[in-house]
Amino acid sequence: MIRLENVTKIYNSEVTALRDATFDVAKGEFVFLVGPSGSGKSTLLRMMNRQERPEKGAVWVAGRNINEMPDSKVPHLRRNIGNIFQDYKLLLNKTVHENVAFALEVIGRPKHVVRQQVPAVMDLVGLAGKQDRFPHQLSGGEQQRVSIARAFVNRPLILLADEPTGNLDPGTGEGIMRLLDRINKTGTTVVMATHDQRIVNMMRKRVIQMDRGIIVRDQARGVYE
Amino acid sequence: MLSRVGYIFRETWASLRRNITLTVAAVLTSAVSLFLVGGTLLVQRGFDNLLSKWAGGVQMIVYVNPTATPEQVAKIRSDIESVAVVDVDRLQYLDYEQSLAEAKRLLAADPGTFERLNQENLPTAFKIAPQSGKTDALVEFETAFKGLTGVQKVVLARDQVEQISKLRDFVQTVTVGLSVLLLIGALILIWTTIRTAMYARRREIEVMKLVGATNWFIRIPFMLEGLIQGLVGALMSCGFLVFFNRLWTNGVVQLEGDNGFVALVVSNSFLNFVMVILVLFGMVAGAIASGVAASRFLDV
Repeated sequence: MIRLENVTKIYNSEVTALRDATFDVAKGEFVFLVGPSGSGKSTLLRMMNRQERPEKGAVWVAGRNINEMPDSKVPHLRRNIGNIFQDYKLLLNKTVHENVAFALEVIGRPKHVVRQQVPAVMDLVGLAGKQDRFPHQLSGGEQQRVSIARAFVNRPLILLADEPTGNLDPGTGEGIMRLLDRINKTGTTVVMATHDQRIVNMMRKRVIQMDRGIIVRDQARGVYE
Repeated sequence: MLSRVGYIFRETWASLRRNITLTVAAVLTSAVSLFLVGGTLLVQRGFDNLLSKWAGGVQMIVYVNPTATPEQVAKIRSDIESVAVVDVDRLQYLDYEQSLAEAKRLLAADPGTFERLNQENLPTAFKIAPQSGKTDALVEFETAFKGLTGVQKVVLARDQVEQISKLRDFVQTVTVGLSVLLLIGALILIWTTIRTAMYARRREIEVMKLVGATNWFIRIPFMLEGLIQGLVGALMSCGFLVFFNRLWTNGVVQLEGDNGFVALVVSNSFLNFVMVILVLFGMVAGAIASGVAASRFLDV
């Protein structure tokens, strides 16, 4: 599903954020990217939906080399990739329902699809009945569920999560992880950057460990260390 | 968390408020600059009207009494043609019909006067162009032509055209220069308005890009905003134009005597044409400026 070949990313021609990264993520796999801040986890994620381009190497997503893709095709690539962030990136002047529907509306999905898909995904993330609230009326965990609903409402092939539990207390974080696990079990590939040891150790998924831009460990059913 | 929510709200609100003043500034600047563009076109047209009877190197017009007999007209023609410095190939005679057509154009602003013209009071005219460089020699025949039977009056280009041309060039330089400057100002203001609007909505734009909205989908609302600014500015400029044109027309028509200024007034159909141009130009320029601004900031 995702394949990186000798990917090197250099910022401002001096800071090497990634050096010679190579790995494969199979369809339906769940992968943790771990490592300290600045080790290149977020850069890796940003490579996978072409928010960044590498200086060297190739990034393949669903069988296509996305660095050679024309700019006009990038929106269509991104429709197959959901994104979740530490700070949720919700639109504060829109209700929960509007936030989720927004993701479908801006890619031109018809109204009946929106009417059908949004309540279904709200059920899935456990927010049924809260669709008319505004983000500031929700807890952090609930806001993250809205952002997951928004990322998943279009049924993407891949979900990229950048520190999704970073702002949450441990119990709430676990709830989010159970939700991501459930989404993963529907066949969606999940790549999640985190430095939340407890969660990595609890889930026992594949772990790719980064240190100063280099992959230092790639272990199936791994722990944080 | 709460402080960040508050911060974002404050910033969005501040950006919106800033945007209102910017929008007003952009609209007013567009209005004034488009008004100047329109004014330039109208003034040009007026001057062209005024000078049109002298087109083609005509330096002297001999007006013939409407009551002159065909024999008298023929005599005047042969006398003019016998003058060595007259360029006979370019000698024109405007008969009643042609004179009436010219008067219609020149009297666009004064239909009352035009209505009263008829075969008994409208002079016909010989338009005389000299051979090249012989203008001075031609002018010496003014008195001679005036004395011919049937001639009403003789008018020289030198007395009218040169002053008018100088005035036209001056007015043209000033208005074109000013309108270009103001147009640039208006476009910069529209650009800045869009940039500020995009800044206020940067989070929304970021989300749109991440979920796969196309750049056009993101750009179009901003282009619409620019288009509306241009449109409102253009409509205001049309209002100014109609107002000042009416003021000018009424003023000129009330002037005493045959001073020729009445030709400085343009027809309503030309005014409408100019207004359509201004509205189209305002909308297109506003939309394109915003579209370019939006594209410029979509990459961030």
